[in-house]
Amino acid sequence: MVFTKVDQDLVYGIKLSSVGPGRVTGSDVVHDLSGMDIAMKLHYVKGLYFFSSQAAKGLTLPRFKEAVFECCCDFYYTSGRLRRSESGRPYIKCNDCGARFIEAHCDMTIDECLEMKGFYFDLQKLLVSQQVIGPELTFSPPVLIQFTQFKCGGISLGLSWAHLLGDAFSAANFMNRWGQIMAAVGSNNTPANLQYKSNTHDHERSKNPPPVHDEPLSLKWVDPVGDHWIVSNNCRMDTFSFHITASQLATLHSEISAGRNRNDQVPIFETICAIIWKCIAKVKLGEETAQARTVTICKSDPRKPTKGFVTNTQTISSVTLDSSVTETDPKRLVTLLVNEAVDERIRMEEVVERDDGVSDFIVYGANLTFVDLEEADLYGFELNGYKPDLVYCTVNGVGDEGAVFVLPAGPEGSGQTNGGGGRMVTIIFKENLVPELKTELAKKGLGQGGGHDLT
Amino acid sequence: MPPSLPDFSNSVRLKYVKLGYQYLVNHILTLTLLPIMAAIFVEVLSMGPEGMLNLWRSLQFDLVQILCCSFLIIFIATFYFMSKPRSIFLVDYACFKPPITCRVPFATFMEHSRLILKDKPKSVEFQMRILERSGLGEETCLPPAIHYIPPTPNMEAARGEAELVIFSAMDSLFEKTGLKPKDIDILIVNCSLFSPTPSLSAMVINKYKLRSNIKSFNLSGMGCSAGLISIDLARDLLQVHPNSNAVIVSTEIITPNYYQGNERAMLLPNCLFRMGGAAILLTNRRSERRRAKYRLVHVVRTHKGADDKAFRCVFEEEDKEGKVGISLSKDLMAIAGEALKSNITTIGPLVLPASEQLLFLLTLIGRKIFNPKWKPYIPDFRQAFEHFCIHAGGRAVIDELQKNLQLSAEHVEASRMTLHRFGNTSSSSLWYELSYIEAKGRMKKGDRVWQIAFGSGFKCNSAVWKCNRTIKTPINGPWADCIDRYPVHIPEVVKL
Repeated sequence: MVFTKVDQDLVYGIKLSSVGPGRVTGSDVVHDLSGMDIAMKLHYVKGLYFFSSQAAKGLTLPRFKEAVFECCCDFYYTSGRLRRSESGRPYIKCNDCGARFIEAHCDMTIDECLEMKGFYFDLQKLLVSQQVIGPELTFSPPVLIQFTQFKCGGISLGLSWAHLLGDAFSAANFMNRWGQIMAAVGSNNTPANLQYKSNTHDHERSKNPPPVHDEPLSLKWVDPVGDHWIVSNNCRMDTFSFHITASQLATLHSEISAGRNRNDQVPIFETICAIIWKCIAKVKLGEETAQARTVTICKSDPRKPTKGFVTNTQTISSVTLDSSVTETDPKRLVTLLVNEAVDERIRMEEVVERDDGVSDFIVYGANLTFVDLEEADLYGFELNGYKPDLVYCTVNGVGDEGAVFVLPAGPEGSGQTNGGGGRMVTIIFKENLVPELKTELAKKGLGQGGGHDLT
Repeated sequence: MPPSLPDFSNSVRLKYVKLGYQYLVNHILTLTLLPIMAAIFVEVLSMGPEGMLNLWRSLQFDLVQILCCSFLIIFIATFYFMSKPRSIFLVDYACFKPPITCRVPFATFMEHSRLILKDKPKSVEFQMRILERSGLGEETCLPPAIHYIPPTPNMEAARGEAELVIFSAMDSLFEKTGLKPKDIDILIVNCSLFSPTPSLSAMVINKYKLRSNIKSFNLSGMGCSAGLISIDLARDLLQVHPNSNAVIVSTEIITPNYYQGNERAMLLPNCLFRMGGAAILLTNRRSERRRAKYRLVHVVRTHKGADDKAFRCVFEEEDKEGKVGISLSKDLMAIAGEALKSNITTIGPLVLPASEQLLFLLTLIGRKIFNPKWKPYIPDFRQAFEHFCIHAGGRAVIDELQKNLQLSAEHVEASRMTLHRFGNTSSSSLWYELSYIEAKGRMKKGDRVWQIAFGSGFKCNSAVWKCNRTIKTPINGPWADCIDRYPVHIPEVVKL
């Protein structure tokens, strides 16, 4: 089936309710937001999980909801609502209000949906809530979950997770905990014993000393948005995704490591980043400023706590090239990305704390942002022992410079044709430059093949 | 309301005088009999054994007279025992514990209210003010259909809620008492606002495959006091049917009655009524005497429906937009006070000790004859009862009764804590309160309990129970997981 424009009625029968912690959190419990959390407040992590009818067999909606009630007991801070202190600094009052739960139906099968042109941009918007925080801060849920049932018996779970609660890694943790509880429903499972741990002062200094200029490059001020936390872009942004199979990765590897010592491990993420960076730089030719030569890298922090609340712990570093990107060798780009990334989190926190978290910032899209989600356990959510067919993860509210997300492809047998060792890449970029970018990527052999059209 | 006795009664001397007076009047029979018996004993001793034998021989009894006398005695004894009403025992009861998925914290209730009534901020404001002062806690529960924005009440959802509540409570009752479904002789279900066909009692009979000669009743429309009306009905039936078990199910199904409009007087029940239900096993079998928890002593029912104001004070009607809701009138508290006075006038003579009744009578005579300005004497019901279960209709009701009956905070603790934890569960709230008292380990053998319920009409019903055996703290029950957190202090106004 080919649609030119997604019909709004494709997803129908919308019913809204709230799911919150099943047990009382307590009165006057407050979750303070760190500087990093506040820096991320205009961004929203979106996750979309597809499960086949086999995986969803025998699992009713009430069972899913019951499991979320249990899950929210562990993640009680996600069920709270935002308040502002006297100074204007936002914090979360853990009043058990709950996440919004949306039930919907779709008359297509999952396969039909995924094969639709315009899926990644349009249809996924119908399967994941696009609601933002505001204009009423105190009544906006930071977490929204959409449960859609398809004609084939499969289901999709769409998670909208305000970035101030945590990064994509913590959103994946939440979903995986949900999956664990679903598997254990009916048996006595002890709660995960998650306690809030302050994560503001746990950063260790990165191995590179901070450069001379004060302001972090990854953080950009935006005009005050008041209580309506939405990013306004100067131009329309478009989203598209493609898969990179394991064999394509191998080809890219050989290009990069030609002439190098065979024993050197060339990291996959940086390889992909370097190639895409070059393509983007070619497309943006004529805009070669210092800022255009800076990128932001977001990766999982290996030193993050494994127990306790994992909120915004990903490392955010910036890399600035001193020469033109198009003229730089990909090998050199990879080396730079690996070795010269400067962790900017501490300086970002300082800037945010300067006026006690009142100002509004963006991080994704302040510069071209590359986000490494390979370590996110996106396929850890199992139903009846089956992994999801596809997990799609992105961030909404990306600024004008765009962002690139590198996701793990599904493991073997997850239903994806390139499962096992491949990657899925999502690019958010200025709409008018997207066709050119696709052409550039095609020249590198990217964007074709895989199971789905390049749309 | 009549004010309390003047302050000087708190002085120690008067307290001892009062105690002495009470002891004297309450044990007057014993106190008069003892000297008489002592006198006879002394007299007998002084006569000596021969004197006794001579006395015996002087009474000439022949056989006929002896036989007649003994038959007369046997006849009177048999008549007495046969005409004595059967003792009704409460073997055990079970309260419904809602699942965690039904929980409605304040914040969720208010947020949903704002989204549903987004054109009527004044109504939302009103609901918030009610909720802040309601005395409810963060763990009360509403049925699943009401959790949707907007709520989706339909017949199927209402039946679903009824099945969930009633069957859970019944399963729990079967487990606690070891009762077999085939042994139920009488079944009474009371649910005021949801009355489908076939009735809820038929639903229970169908689910548990009860006997075909069961006596089943379904009471609807009788409000929050219907629980005690069912107890009264069961008691009367158990007088007629020997050796029988009666199961009573008290509940209120919220799903079809959630008010969807924005008339303020009708929004009030939405804020207070919550999911709940109880199943009770009554019996007149003598074999259950040992293990029964309570014995039913009195049931007193008072109906003020003859008065038009009382009749209209809790009224189900349509608002201007045609949406059905229950409208509560502004003089609800005054009418409740009147109904209560009427009820305690009837129950007082049945339960109060002679000392209190005498004082009340004397004060009454005094006011009529000597000086109408004497303050009327309020009998001290704390002498008649150890525990009070006041229907948790709302904070105002409990406050009013506490004031009228001069009860301490500990006496009304069960009612306040039930309102906090479960909300107003209508006819079953009395059973949650009784469960609270048991869970706190306060119920001892011989303790007397007074259950008071108010309901639309306007009715005030009371039941008096006597504890049959000291009750150990139950392991499972609606309070099992939270009793350690209670009692909590409930602030006047909760900050939302």
